[in-house]
Amino acid sequence: MTSSWFQDPTLLAAMLGALLPFVSFVLIMVFTRPYPKLSATISVAAVSVSLICALSLLGRHWHLEQPIQYTARWMVSGKLYVPFGFMLDQLSLLMLTIVAGISFLVQVYSLGYMAGDPGFARYYAFQSLFAWAMMTMSIAPTMLQFYIFWELVGLASYFLIGFYYEKFSASEAGKKAFVMTRLGDIAFFLGLLLVLLNFGNLNILDMNSVDVTARMSPAMITLSAILIFGGVAGKSAQFPLLTWLPDAMEGPTPVSALLHSATMVAAGVYMFARIFPFFSKSPTAMTLFLAIGTITMLLASTMAMVTRDIKQVWAFSTISQLGFMVMGLAAGSYFAGIFHLTTHAGFKALLFLCSGVFIHEYETNDFFEIGQHGGRGLKVPIVCITLAAAALSGLPPLSGFFSKEAIMGGLAELPNPIWLWAGLLGAFLTAYYSFRLIFAILFPKKIEEVHHGEHGGHGHGEDHHHAGLYWVMAWPLIILAAVTLVLGFFQAPLENFLVGHHGGAEGHGGGHHAWLLYVAVGLALSGVGLAWLEFGRKGASQVGFVERLEPVKTLFAERWYIDHFYRLFLDYVIYGIFSNLFTRNDRQVIDGGIDGLCRATVGGGRVLSFLQSGMLQYNLMVMFAVLALVALYFFF
Amino acid sequence: MNSLYTYLFLAALLFSLGIFGVFQRRSLIGMLIAIELMLTGASINFMAFNRFLAPDPIVGQIYTLFIMGIAAAEAAIALSIIVAVFRRLRSINIERAQELRG
Repeated sequence: MTSSWFQDPTLLAAMLGALLPFVSFVLIMVFTRPYPKLSATISVAAVSVSLICALSLLGRHWHLEQPIQYTARWMVSGKLYVPFGFMLDQLSLLMLTIVAGISFLVQVYSLGYMAGDPGFARYYAFQSLFAWAMMTMSIAPTMLQFYIFWELVGLASYFLIGFYYEKFSASEAGKKAFVMTRLGDIAFFLGLLLVLLNFGNLNILDMNSVDVTARMSPAMITLSAILIFGGVAGKSAQFPLLTWLPDAMEGPTPVSALLHSATMVAAGVYMFARIFPFFSKSPTAMTLFLAIGTITMLLASTMAMVTRDIKQVWAFSTISQLGFMVMGLAAGSYFAGIFHLTTHAGFKALLFLCSGVFIHEYETNDFFEIGQHGGRGLKVPIVCITLAAAALSGLPPLSGFFSKEAIMGGLAELPNPIWLWAGLLGAFLTAYYSFRLIFAILFPKKIEEVHHGEHGGHGHGEDHHHAGLYWVMAWPLIILAAVTLVLGFFQAPLENFLVGHHGGAEGHGGGHHAWLLYVAVGLALSGVGLAWLEFGRKGASQVGFVERLEPVKTLFAERWYIDHFYRLFLDYVIYGIFSNLFTRNDRQVIDGGIDGLCRATVGGGRVLSFLQSGMLQYNLMVMFAVLALVALYFFF
Repeated sequence: MNSLYTYLFLAALLFSLGIFGVFQRRSLIGMLIAIELMLTGASINFMAFNRFLAPDPIVGQIYTLFIMGIAAAEAAIALSIIVAVFRRLRSINIERAQELRG
């Protein structure tokens, strides 16, 4: 890129936006950890600047013709040249804005939620670390830089999930998330190596260009695409690796909102979109991804139908919506997947932040209890959560409706109708489980006034303080709710922005299939209706139809025994076979070998020591004899 | 009679006697004397070669002077070792000094 004068602001904004959170992370970790207020101020200020930069970049490059790249040489080794830098195109600008926006809102919200926590400064340091890693990842020009920051994001996520590290379950959950996503990342890394070896370049633009097909055989493209998709499956909790995400809800609720719903888990989908043209060169791989997305979506929806933990419901729904996005992308509708990612980031963050308010207020995760304690009394959160749940269910005119329609449109284009029916079934289940939760809070069976009164009396002394915190937490909710309301109407401009200059992939609105629109909305409404029959209406039993069938309920509650399978696999295959073998090899071959060597040396010394009589003259005689023999040998 | 071989024979005899003495004597003093005999044998060799084969630079004689010096120093050190051994073992019999036996 030429460095003409008028392009400098872009570079400046990108650098500032991407680096300031890192500066704030270092500052907090090194200097200001003992001062929570100052740390929070630094972090929020950094992320605000990042948001401003991201917005200005988005505004400046709304009519971007070509991707802008700035790269600097980071490492040169022989012919290998590793650049670092920024690449700004439509997709990365959009993602940058989403990440900066959600990070900003979550950090503001956390001012209230985390107030008084002993790890307040540490919390903000990790938030900054996360923001830095995620934003730099979004604008990475090469897959290597992408991968590095992808791992950093995973690291930040590990820190934040295990934030309450004194709690055993939290540190376990952090470990589980870390190990499971790493499993996918190994595949990702292997895939990158394959591409590097065969194609010789990891530049994203090059990978997406046409000459990949010329340089790599189709089988090789399929193999590397599937391997790289392993990373997506790990990060975005797709089918084989989906069980870490529900456990990751052990972290503070704003963290769940930021990482495990809106941004980090979307990184997988973002990567899919990032090298979408590369993936789409292999139809086999795309079909596989479609199947994985579908399975994930359906499995996670069924799990969400039986859990009683408010955060778990949203965690499962996140997995399920990520499955939707993968389906949309794999079906070939690039725009639909991205659009759903964008809208989902908004309404899912909203759902989690609202749940955070309830959890903070009632100190329980069980939404039946929240309802009984009078959860509907909190006006702003209850309105927002209902709105967001409606968006999640795909009810018009909220943002989720538009994006889900776009995905359905993409699925309808496929020759095999099974994907479309699976998608519609998923939409129905989504509506059902979201409104199961909403109705349980809105219309509880009985309201225990005692508890709420007690709580009110308790909070009376610090009334003013409490109200202030409440509003700090409520503001982000209102902003996100507004976004959820209006974002859907920006479908056309966004589509122009993203796809307008994008030749290969095109998005499909609902317009092509008018009947589909009605069917989808009808199914969503019937899902809501079913939830109303079982949880909402007066005298409802508040027992779902799934919960009546004991074996099915157990199956769903145990998460289809996926965790049990992993446990068994670990116990029998890893511990039983490999660990056992390696331990025995270690004990018997290596330890035994060394011990044997030592014993032989000692024993040999014992035997030989009988030769030493201690008589000086015998020694002398032997010396003399040897010397004489040597002399004889040399002379004759 | 006055030839190189006579001296070489004498030297070999002295050296062999010395070797035999070192191996055979059990007294440290006897061993020291035997070692002196061996050194003398070596010196006679040097002198004989100097006299009959390479007379011009008198390197052989200088070597002999060195050997005498070394023999003196060696005798001093050896005697003091013998005194130390005697103090420790109350004897100078080499058979008593067998603590290093394996």
